[in-house]
Amino acid sequence: MAHFEIKDLSFSYALGSGKKALDHINLEIEQGEYITVCGKSGSGKTTLLKHLKSVLTPHGVTEGKIYFEGKLLKDITLRDQSAKIGYVMQNPDNQIVTDKVWHELAFGLESLGMDQKTIRLRVAEMASYFGIQGWFHKNVSELSGGQKQLLNLASIMAMQPTVLILDEPTSQLDPIAATDFLNTVRKINLELGTTIIITEHRLEDIFHASDRVVVMEKGRIICDDNPHAVGEYLKETKNEMFAAMPSPVQIYYGVENNLKCPLTVREGRNWLSEVFSGNNPVHTAIDEKEQRGENIGVPAISIKKVWFRYEKTGQDILKGVDFYVSRGEFFAIVGGNGTGKSTTLKAICNICKPYRGQILIDGKRVEKYKSFELFKGNLAMLPQDPQSIFVKQTVGEDLAEMMDKDCADKETKIAEIAKICDIEELLESHPYDLSGGEQQRAALAKVLLTEPKILLLDEPTKGLDNFFKLKLAEVLKTLKSKGVTILMVSHDVEFCAKYVDKVGMFFDGGLITVNTPNKFFSRNSFYTTAANRMSRHLFENAINNEDVIKLCQMNL
Amino acid sequence: MQVKNKDNFSSYNPILNFFFFVCAIGLGMFFMHPAFLVCSFVLSLLYYVTIEGLKGFKFFVLMVPLILLLALINPLFNTAGTHILFIYFGRAYTLEGLLYGVAIAFMFVSILNWFASYNAVMTSDKFIYIFGKFLPSISLVLTMILRLVPNFQRKASQIGTARMCIGKAGENTEKKEKIENGMTVLSGLATWALEGGIITADSMRSRGYGSGKRTNFAIYRFDSRDLVLLIVMIGLVAGICVCGFMGGAAVIYTPVLEITFNIYTIIGSVMYFCLLAIPSVINIMEEIIWRILRSRI
Repeated sequence: MAHFEIKDLSFSYALGSGKKALDHINLEIEQGEYITVCGKSGSGKTTLLKHLKSVLTPHGVTEGKIYFEGKLLKDITLRDQSAKIGYVMQNPDNQIVTDKVWHELAFGLESLGMDQKTIRLRVAEMASYFGIQGWFHKNVSELSGGQKQLLNLASIMAMQPTVLILDEPTSQLDPIAATDFLNTVRKINLELGTTIIITEHRLEDIFHASDRVVVMEKGRIICDDNPHAVGEYLKETKNEMFAAMPSPVQIYYGVENNLKCPLTVREGRNWLSEVFSGNNPVHTAIDEKEQRGENIGVPAISIKKVWFRYEKTGQDILKGVDFYVSRGEFFAIVGGNGTGKSTTLKAICNICKPYRGQILIDGKRVEKYKSFELFKGNLAMLPQDPQSIFVKQTVGEDLAEMMDKDCADKETKIAEIAKICDIEELLESHPYDLSGGEQQRAALAKVLLTEPKILLLDEPTKGLDNFFKLKLAEVLKTLKSKGVTILMVSHDVEFCAKYVDKVGMFFDGGLITVNTPNKFFSRNSFYTTAANRMSRHLFENAINNEDVIKLCQMNL
Repeated sequence: MQVKNKDNFSSYNPILNFFFFVCAIGLGMFFMHPAFLVCSFVLSLLYYVTIEGLKGFKFFVLMVPLILLLALINPLFNTAGTHILFIYFGRAYTLEGLLYGVAIAFMFVSILNWFASYNAVMTSDKFIYIFGKFLPSISLVLTMILRLVPNFQRKASQIGTARMCIGKAGENTEKKEKIENGMTVLSGLATWALEGGIITADSMRSRGYGSGKRTNFAIYRFDSRDLVLLIVMIGLVAGICVCGFMGGAAVIYTPVLEITFNIYTIIGSVMYFCLLAIPSVINIMEEIIWRILRSRI
């Protein structure tokens, strides 16, 4: 008996064009399987997952049937569904109900009306299994994003569900916390036999671990097979989703060979060795991109030995940060959480005022600027959470808010920016109804309306899938070609390797090293791209998938 | 130097913590007899110092001028009394009035001390634990609000920062614009809160909220030591009340000073002392036990 059985499920939203959000879905999920559902945003992944739990099912017209453990899902009581079907959502913050960690763990069990003794045991068990003892008594507000999401998972696991549904659980987390979280999910699947149904844009971490990958497009399932077969299918049909595949898969299909497709870096490394089967490749390095003439005039941003801490008795967050960004350059700062990257951006905006050192914008000290001089047509920052920039009912209104009331060519300017950011069709929508990637671009559009010469970006690729990253990269390229200086803080190694001019590594309150991405990533062994990690034993400085493919083709 | 000491009384069941403070504050406001006042004042201070360490002393130092002020001011309003110290503008400044002022000052400061300790000991979750038993839904709402407030503050500052960085707020705006800007931030905040509320509601229902009768889980246990202490406390409170009822704590300051002193006064104040000393004794005992244990190593 299948654990979940979806038979001919179709669905269209109550308010909408009558377009089918789900179109004749047939899917069978066995007990203990690890299923990855992928697809572009808007392909119906979330809608599908929400149908697997009655209380979450959106309003609209549903046809077809869903069976859970042999019974019709809608005939199963709320109580049973709550206990047996666990559902983890995207946003770590809003899922949490109570103010204490221990209380949150108990919340579901309280709702099921269990007695003190049982709850005490279950809570203790979960806290130990997930390693929560250390922060068991803490307030929820003191936790990091990764801890919050782990707490959400633990509080659901406390109800001992037989199936765990996760809807992009790591989109708000940094890569290290995300990998940790996904490993925990994997561990639950292996050790407890819990069925896992997950949607995720970070396919690198889960693709190889999945028993089956389900690819969705426009509300339909276009492919449902093991990871190898899915990779092949997407390549053959030249599907856009191929861009979301992990690096080893993409490289494999870029090089002619008849070996088995690698899914992980380790397999990719062995595969590459086998491709060359003992012969050392002749060409081992790619030519670096032409460096543009450096140090023309005054740097756009120049930070000189800046020290900062939030409180007088607190710890130093910035400890002598010292670097500059030339005009028209795309500069990226990478590094772990809490090292002071975002604080640096805030210092440049004069929100955090350093107690020692200087920050110069176009050669003038930042505190000498008046606020309207600095932020109109000069400097602008896109915040980490794009939602905090929206304050109106539609995207269009939000953009209009940025213009002076008596501005003559208001409409044309907005239209122009909307075109650059590819949000022309979204102007009538409510900002909160957009997907993560759309929100990011709408927020960017709003920021761009200040016509900045210097643009600061705080983790712009967080929560974006690969298509949206491509689109974002296009937008940034357009801006760069117009002479805009871009300073980006990011965790996204792959994105930095591909698009930026210079990368700096932030650690312990200071910028350790600055270099071109090519030199920077090819010299790191851990903090580098998957493509580099799988090819470094053969090639000197291949950091992108394209680099590796190109070098392979040159040698074969 | 240890700034904040560990409070062992807090590790008892919250019901005991709460019961103690209700008694200490309730009785403290009732008794004006000097013997009782001294007990309350000394022990409230002692307890506050055992939990807050150095900060407790600083608090006391700040209290001294307040005590003096309260004591000296009272005779200005209360001129009744037989012993006139001096006369100003035709009004009498009496000894009885002054003594009454001293008594009021000491009572006031002891109550302040108890409240300060109450704040340190009775955290929000303890309060909710106690009242959640009677009002489960209200206690859940309370917990959610407690989470909401810091969330709102954080988000408001995020929106503020985000707007500043796109030139929509700053020091060079007019008053009207500032108000407008504030309203915009508020409306953005409201939208964000509603949106978050929908997800929270989903998350609650998805975890079975409303699927049946709810229980209330608490990490606090009610051990035998809690029971013993509770019985002792109830016994002492009953004894004190009886003594008070029998007139052991009767005192009149004005117009003629009359301080009762009989067997009930002695029994009552001793019991009062014992009751109020409970948390401090628990803390000090624990400290001594640790010293001994450590010295054996």
